[in-house]
Amino acid sequence: MNDAPLLAIRDVSRSFGGIEVLHGVDFDLRPGEVHALIGENGAGKSTTMKILGGYLPPSSGTVELDGSTVSFSASDEAEAAGVVMIHQEFNLTEQLTVEENVFLGRELTKGLFLDKTTMRARTREWLERLDCHLDPTLRVSQISVSDKQMVEIAKALGRNARVLIMDEPTAVLTRRETDILLDLIARLRDEGTAILYTSHKLDEIARIADRVTVLRDGSVVMAQEAEGLTEDDMARAMVGREMSDLYPDKAPEPSGETVLDVQGLSVPGHVRDASFTLRRGEVLAFAGLVGAGRTELMEGVVGLREATGSVHVGERKLPPNNVAAARSAGLVYLTEDRKGRGLLLNKNLAENLTLLALNRFSGVTIDKRAEDEALTDAISRYDIRAGDRGMLAGQLSGGNQQKLLLAKTMLAEPDIVIIDEPTRGIDIGTKQQIYGIIQRLAAEGKAVIVVSSEMAEVIGLAHRVVVMAQGRIAGELTGDDIGDEPIVRLAMGLDAKEAAA
Amino acid sequence: MSAADTTTQTGGGRRLDFHVLGPVLALIALIVLGTLINTNFLSPGNITNVLARSAFIGIIAVGMTFVITAGGLDLSVGSMAAFIAGLMIIVMNATMSVMGVGLMTVIVGILTALVAGLAAGAINGLLITRGRIEAFIVTLGTMGIYRSLVTWLADGGTLSLDFDLRTFYGPVYYGGILGVTWPIIVFALVAIVGEIAMRQTAFGRHCAAIGSNDQVARYSAVHVDRVRTATYVLLGLLVGVATIMYVPRLGSASSSTGLLWELEAIAAVIIGGTVLKGGFGRVWGTVIGVLILSLIGNILNLTDVVSPYLNGAIQGVIIILAVVMQRGTNVSR
Amino acid sequence: MKHITKAALAATMLTALPAVAQEQESATIGVSIPAATHGWAGGMNFHAQQAVEQLGERYDNLDFVLSTAPDPGQQVNDIEDMVAARGIDALVVLPFESEPLTGPVASVAEQDIWVTVVDRGLSQENIEDLYVAGDNPGFGRVAGEYFVENMPDGGQIVVLRGIPTTIDNERVEAFQQAIDGSGIEIIGMEHGNWNRDDAFTVMQDFLSRHGQIDAVWASDDDMAVGALAAIDQAGRDDIQFVLGGAGMKEMIQRVMEGDEMVPADVTYPPAMIATAIEMTALNFVGSAPVSGEFIIGSELITQENAEEYYYPDSPF
Repeated sequence: MNDAPLLAIRDVSRSFGGIEVLHGVDFDLRPGEVHALIGENGAGKSTTMKILGGYLPPSSGTVELDGSTVSFSASDEAEAAGVVMIHQEFNLTEQLTVEENVFLGRELTKGLFLDKTTMRARTREWLERLDCHLDPTLRVSQISVSDKQMVEIAKALGRNARVLIMDEPTAVLTRRETDILLDLIARLRDEGTAILYTSHKLDEIARIADRVTVLRDGSVVMAQEAEGLTEDDMARAMVGREMSDLYPDKAPEPSGETVLDVQGLSVPGHVRDASFTLRRGEVLAFAGLVGAGRTELMEGVVGLREATGSVHVGERKLPPNNVAAARSAGLVYLTEDRKGRGLLLNKNLAENLTLLALNRFSGVTIDKRAEDEALTDAISRYDIRAGDRGMLAGQLSGGNQQKLLLAKTMLAEPDIVIIDEPTRGIDIGTKQQIYGIIQRLAAEGKAVIVVSSEMAEVIGLAHRVVVMAQGRIAGELTGDDIGDEPIVRLAMGLDAKEAAA
Repeated sequence: MSAADTTTQTGGGRRLDFHVLGPVLALIALIVLGTLINTNFLSPGNITNVLARSAFIGIIAVGMTFVITAGGLDLSVGSMAAFIAGLMIIVMNATMSVMGVGLMTVIVGILTALVAGLAAGAINGLLITRGRIEAFIVTLGTMGIYRSLVTWLADGGTLSLDFDLRTFYGPVYYGGILGVTWPIIVFALVAIVGEIAMRQTAFGRHCAAIGSNDQVARYSAVHVDRVRTATYVLLGLLVGVATIMYVPRLGSASSSTGLLWELEAIAAVIIGGTVLKGGFGRVWGTVIGVLILSLIGNILNLTDVVSPYLNGAIQGVIIILAVVMQRGTNVSR
Repeated sequence: MKHITKAALAATMLTALPAVAQEQESATIGVSIPAATHGWAGGMNFHAQQAVEQLGERYDNLDFVLSTAPDPGQQVNDIEDMVAARGIDALVVLPFESEPLTGPVASVAEQDIWVTVVDRGLSQENIEDLYVAGDNPGFGRVAGEYFVENMPDGGQIVVLRGIPTTIDNERVEAFQQAIDGSGIEIIGMEHGNWNRDDAFTVMQDFLSRHGQIDAVWASDDDMAVGALAAIDQAGRDDIQFVLGGAGMKEMIQRVMEGDEMVPADVTYPPAMIATAIEMTALNFVGSAPVSGEFIIGSELITQENAEEYYYPDSPF
């Protein structure tokens, strides 16, 4: 390992509209190392990365490349210098093919014409390095989210990056894909690439990082070799306090009546013949692999997808394909896709908050004062950290968006809440808050379904776990049976035990 | 990302200024210019003329604001107006031969216009929502259909309202209360109700939500298809209302009636600050947009300095400027 | 160039009629005209259709293909289709615009297809076998002479122009020459685009702008309707009369009834298309070919002769 930094920022501060969000941050990347940058949402990770990647200039301080001060006027200058940033939100053109995206802006030509053969071969080669066997001629709109991530990385490979800045690359990847990616990162590191890596998954950090820098509230609170650093140490540094109990005590085993009864529900192409029940005061988790049909089942239950079968809320049978009817029966669904389906990113907080429950705020016209009060209430109850009440939902950090979405859903005063991936892409402090909220809901006598791919979450929260595999309910676990191994066995389809429910 | 961050973080105050004041300043500039050019510009007669002739496009543009805000588009309104005008004239002439010249005949004509507008709007809306066809394609199709129908009804020529009936019905365009003529009054009412509906009601909020992201709206239990259809029905109804004002003016309809009204209405909506791709709408801005477009024509007619051939060019520059002003304020995540 | 009036033309045709031949070879005649986008064009469409129907019935050996185009590009397509798919033997064309149609029509003529051009001349000479047109400079001159005669003391007038085209330019130039030196002053001239609504708007603004207007040359009957409505609305009584043009039936009726605001009209008969079609048809029914140039003069319609020009069945 070479100790001279390839890319560094020295004493960098950055302000937005008079508010300083980064205070004198030092950070450097050496060739042949993975340097993890972690912190809670809003700690300043994104800003730091953007300054390193040439997307933002620092308000004060310097950016140094190969020991000399540089100022990138735009990201393409940084890219020309070998600094490539992979964004969490993809920079891909949906209507172009994979290879066209990979070579976008630097197409190879043969005379006047595009050299498609070479471009296709190279793209295929880079994807192979990622162990990804994707057809380069597919349109990006046709490929899965995790494949899109792979395409982004292949694109970076094609740029011959000396410095690779990766913003939560595994957020949308399955475990297998994550393994492949981490292997690849290790290989790139061995080839001498300097890699900045961020993730909320601390086990990944522990596995891959050579050095770790922790940001809290815009300042570096820890910077050291990863050797000997535990996940707990990192979490403590991020939150600034002991993280004793991530999961609250479970509410007592529910004994209340059945509030939701789903029988023989099928969603064409995704779910076949699923049946389950839910009781008052219960937290029911749905586990399974990505693509097992959990989200589709829940969307079928609340009427967001065409489905056959019956859904009873209490004594009442819900009409199919009618979200509004489900909502008025007290059944709501909180989507996993908060940016695409959960929030109107270019609308302000109040408009987002009341959208689901707008009927409670409007007679002939909307009562804007009541809306405003509801926002004040939600901000304090759900601890939404918004710099300014008039800001747009898209300007909130991921964790605060999730809390806003939760507040929006709860404003409809549901009896049954289905929460899909409640903590995807949010930091550990916020996770703890959200777990607390879920537990509180159950204790208040509401019924909660949590769909989650995080095993720890499922085990830590649920009274009962339903495991899905390949569009069917593979089995159900309760009490002490809930554990890593039985869930994985069911999810992999190893135990073919039929659901009892 | 970075550009959006900087503008949204640092430019909050400036955004308000440009976005809100841009069209207002343009309108004021035009009024000052008009006053300098011709002393009659501010005469009650000229003001009445400009406002009254803005009324047709204006009433339609208010409806168009809702359609565009909800992420839609309607190219058929000009042809629809011509068709409804033609239908109304035929029905009124026929009714007159039975009931004679009188209030009943006019009421039958008005009902015809409203029902035809509602039906035409519903056809557009249902084809788009139930038929799952692009709004652009549906309304491009109905645009051609209504334009041909009116040509066919008029046998290639002009449909004319019976002279006596026109005299009787004329006050709906030419008359009014306290010197304010009916088209102006109706336009003002439609604009005020529209502004309230857009800003203060669940319907307006739902339109903006759908235009902003229809998936989010659907997941928030908004009846996306119903609201979308409603915007087209509302627009159709307003086209009917505009036609009720239009027919008494010249008492005729032909294949050239309402030509390019759809583009003028869309232009007015965009000049007023409504976002063409949906998600944000401003009815009062649309009203200002309509007035700006009318004033350009009026001022060019009142002066010989600029060739009237350039009317379209001046309108074009203003439309592009309006959109340029909107940019830079659009927040991408 | 022959100047013939309508009556004279009808006479020519009557002499040709008895020569109806039963044993003629069959022939297809293509007729390509602009769509009915304004009143005059509507009337022209009506007369074209009538002529095609009547001639089709009268001569068994004749087939007609009629197409209406909304723009010059479409008209070129229509003509190409007629030649390629229908194998026409003759083409009667009223060009949407002169320039874009000249090349395509010339190539039709080169294929030994009879070409009759109506109203709007092509931009090259000697392409067509037969040219039938209205007299645009004459239209402006007749109108101008009427103003000079009826405003002996001169006065201030406003002019509504049509869609910016050669036709409009020729008319207005002739009008200006005719009133030159008469003391009549044009104080405002704007395009009303042969459209009622546009004319209404322009006239409203003229009335705002000028406190005294003695008369209006609307140059078209559709525009005259719009201008009259604007004058009515303003309640102004300084305007003595509005002169339109083209011979719309409602306006001729008003002339017949002695309306003071509409004392006269100038013809520019949309029926010229029917004349052109009939003259073309004559080539295929045995009589001597009729070729050359026929200019249908513009005439002044007043209360005395209005009845001759009144066609209540026409849509125009």
